[in-house]
Amino acid sequence: MMMETKKEIIIEAKKLSVSFLIQRHGINNIKDFIITMGVKSPFERKNVLRDLDLVVYKGECLGVMGRNGCGKSTLLRTIAGIMKPDGGSLTVNGNVAPLMALGVGLEPELSGYENIKLVGTLMGLSSKELKGSLEAIVDFSELSQDEIEMQVKRYSSGMMARLAFSIAVANIPEILIIDEALAVGDLGFRQKCARRINEIKAAGSTIIYVSHHLDEIKNICTRAIFMEDGKVAIEGDVDKVCEYYSTHLKRKTPPVATILP
Amino acid sequence: MSNFTDPSKFLGLVVTLGLKTIKLRYKNSFFGFLWSMMNPLIYLVIFSFVFGNVFTEIDRYPLYALTGLVFWIFFSTTTIQVIESIVNSSGVLKSINIPTIALPLAAQFASLISLFLSLVPFTILMLVFGLKLGWESLLFLPILLLYTCFTFGASLILSSFNVYFRDVQLAWASFMPAIFYATPIAYTSSLIPEKFLWLLKLNPLYHFIGALRQIFYFNTTPSLMELGLLLALGIIPLMLGLWVFNKLERGFVSQY
Repeated sequence: MMMETKKEIIIEAKKLSVSFLIQRHGINNIKDFIITMGVKSPFERKNVLRDLDLVVYKGECLGVMGRNGCGKSTLLRTIAGIMKPDGGSLTVNGNVAPLMALGVGLEPELSGYENIKLVGTLMGLSSKELKGSLEAIVDFSELSQDEIEMQVKRYSSGMMARLAFSIAVANIPEILIIDEALAVGDLGFRQKCARRINEIKAAGSTIIYVSHHLDEIKNICTRAIFMEDGKVAIEGDVDKVCEYYSTHLKRKTPPVATILP
Repeated sequence: MSNFTDPSKFLGLVVTLGLKTIKLRYKNSFFGFLWSMMNPLIYLVIFSFVFGNVFTEIDRYPLYALTGLVFWIFFSTTTIQVIESIVNSSGVLKSINIPTIALPLAAQFASLISLFLSLVPFTILMLVFGLKLGWESLLFLPILLLYTCFTFGASLILSSFNVYFRDVQLAWASFMPAIFYATPIAYTSSLIPEKFLWLLKLNPLYHFIGALRQIFYFNTTPSLMELGLLLALGIIPLMLGLWVFNKLERGFVSQY
C-alpha cells in the first residue's frame, strides 16, 4: 500500500459524469432549441458515465474491460479531451495520443506519404516534428517505396492498419490510449506493435488499453479495471480482474444444456 | 490539454486541412480546376443571351454580370462547404482531439484559395469585356476581407445548427436560388420599383456585391458611410457566428 501512494498520479477522475444527447422529435422542440440557443433542447440526456472514480499512475499500463456499451470508449474519449465531463472532475497531466480506431483521418484518395503528413498534423505534430519522424514512420510501417507513393484506397486493410499505427506511435506520447485497435495486421506486424508498446512503456509513458482479449491484457497491462454501467465495478491486479471478467460474462449466458432440447 | 494550444500548430492544421480539400476536389479529374470556372461561364452565357438584350441600358453587360457572378459563386460555394465541414469530418472529430473550429476555418480557407485561383482567368476575361483597373481596385482586399467575415459568420451559424439538424444543409441548398435572385447580380437595382428597394437593401449581399462592383465596374470608391456599413456587416455576423458556435459546440460529439 505504501508503494502505491508514492506513485505519481497522471489521471484522476472524481465522481466523473459524462452524458450523451439522445434526440427527441417534434417541431416545437426544434423551435425551443433555436430560441434558447441549445439550453432547452429536444434532446434527452443519457448518462454514460456516472460518478466514476479512477486513478491512473504515471508509467503504468491500465487494462480496461467490460461489456459492450458499458462506457469504455466514452471514458477514453473524455480522457482524450474529445468529450467534456458534465459533472465531477477530471485531471489529465500530460499530452494524450488517442488510438480510438485505426485509420481515422486517412484520406483514401491521397498517397501514403501525403497521409502521413495529414494524419500526423491531426495528431498534433508540427511540420518540423513530422519531417524528423517521417523516415521512422515509413520504416516502421514496412511499406515499400512504391506502396508509400500509392493511393491509400489501393491498400489492403492490413497495409492501411500498419500505416495508421506507425503514424500514431511515431512520437512517444505521455499517455497512449488504445481502444481495441490492434486486432488487425498479420502476426509479424502484431508482434512488432506489441514490441513498440513495450518500448513506449519502457520510456515511462502511461498506457490505457481496452481489449476483450484476456491474453493481451495479461501480457501488456500492470493493472486492470472492469467497468459496469458507467462505473468502475472492480479494479486491481490483472489476474483478479480477468478472473472476474470471465466468470461474470459466463454467468450472463444461459448454460448450453437449457437451450438444447 | 489539447495539442493545438500553440497557435502555429493550429494554423498548420487549418492550412493542411484546407489544402487537402483543394487537392481532393480536383483529384482523379482530367480538367480539374477548369471545371470550377464552367459554372460562372455558363451563367454568363445565359445572362448575356437572355438579359443582354433586355437590359440594354446596362453598358458592358457581360462585365456587369461577371463582377457580380464571381463573388456570388464565392458566397454560395463557401456557405455550402462550411455548413458540411463539421458533419463530414465527424469520424475524425470523435476520435482525435482537434479543435472543431479548425474544420469550418479550413473550408473557408480552401474557398478563398479557389477564389484567388479563379480570379486569374476571370480578370483576363473581364479585361476583354472592358474592365479598367485603377487605384480604387486596391479597395478590393479590405472589402473582400469583410465579405469573408460575413460569409464565414453566417456559415458558422448554419453549420453549428446543421450538426443537430441536417435539415439545415438541405434547406440551404433550396434557398440558394432565392438568395441569388434577391441580389442584383444579373440585373441592376435601378430596375426595382422604388417602394421595394428597402427590401433589397436588407440583403447584406446587396451591399457587398454592390461595393465590389462599384470599384471594378463603375471605377469609383464606395462612400465612407457605405464602407462603415460593410464593416458592421462583416464584424457583427462573425461575432454572432462565433458566439453561436461556442454555445452549441459542447453537444456536437453526441451527434456524430
